[in-house]
Amino acid sequence: MMAATVDFVEADNAEAIISRIEHKSRKIESLLKQSRPVEALKTALEGSPPNTRDERCKSANWIVVHRAIMAIKDLDALFSSLDPEYYDILMKYLYRGLSTGDRPTCDQCLRIHERLTERAGLGCILRSLADTMNTV
Amino acid sequence: MANSLRLYLTCIRNTLEAAMCLQNFPCQEVERHNKPEVELKTSPELLLKPILICRNEAEKCLIETSINSLRISLKVKQADELENILTKKFLRFLSMRAEAFQVLRRKPVQGYDLSFLITNYHCEEMQKHKLIDFIVQFMEASFHPLHLVLWSVVNYFKYYAFLWTY
Repeated sequence: MMAATVDFVEADNAEAIISRIEHKSRKIESLLKQSRPVEALKTALEGSPPNTRDERCKSANWIVVHRAIMAIKDLDALFSSLDPEYYDILMKYLYRGLSTGDRPTCDQCLRIHERLTERAGLGCILRSLADTMNTV
Repeated sequence: MANSLRLYLTCIRNTLEAAMCLQNFPCQEVERHNKPEVELKTSPELLLKPILICRNEAEKCLIETSINSLRISLKVKQADELENILTKKFLRFLSMRAEAFQVLRRKPVQGYDLSFLITNYHCEEMQKHKLIDFIVQFMEASFHPLHLVLWSVVNYFKYYAFLWTY
C-alpha cells in the first residue's frame, strides 16, 4: 500500500521534474553561450533527481548533463572549481556516458574519468557501482 | 589514437581496482555449495551494477561484479571480414586453453569476444594488482598482433599479385 502511494506521487512529480529540467537546460544554454562551462556543469549536476524511478526524467536529465560535459574543454579549471560533493554524481553520469558507445562522448568521458579518479579516488567508483537507490 | 587507448585502459584499470573486492560466500540456496554469484545472478543483493565502458562503437568492455566473483567481457574492434576471421581463430585458440590461464572463461558472454571470470579463490592465491596488470596487458597485447598479422597477410597477397602480373 505504501508502494502504491509512492508511485502515485511519482507520476505527478515526473511532470514537475521534467519542467524543472527544461528550465535548467535553458539556463545551461545561456551559461554555455557566456563560455562558462564549469558553472553549466554544476547547474546540470545540482538538481539531479535521484529518487525518481521514471526513465523519462533520468533521460531528460542525462541529455542536459551530456550537453554540459561535452562543452568542457579545460579539465584543470573544472577540477579546481568543482565541489567534492558533486564528484559522486559526476562519476555516475560518466559511466552512463561510457555505456553509450558514441565516440566523442566516450573520448570526453574517458578523459574526465581519469582526472576524476585521481582527485576522488577509488571510493567514488565503488559508490557509483554499489548505489542502487540513487541511479542515473 | 594511442592516447585514447591509454585512457581506455586506465579507465578499465581503475574500475577493476575498485570492483575487485571479493570474499568467500557459500551459496545461499544450496547447502555446502560455493558458486560464483555473478554467473548465476539469483540474488540481487549480492550483485553490483554492471559497468559498460566503450571506447567507440566497436570496442567495449563489460565489468560485472558480485560478492565472490567478477566477470570481465571484452569486444575487440574488427574492421573487416579478414580481421573478423583472424580474431575468432585467435580467441578460440585461447579459450580452448582456458585451464592454463585459470581466469579465462571457456565461452565468451553473448555479444562479446572474450570473457574472464575471477573468483575469490584467485584473489587469495594470486595478488590482486597482478591480476589486474595481467588483464590490462592482455588487452594491450591483443590490440597489436592482429593488426600485424593482417598487415603481413595483405602484403603477402600484394607481393604475389605483383609477381603474377609480371
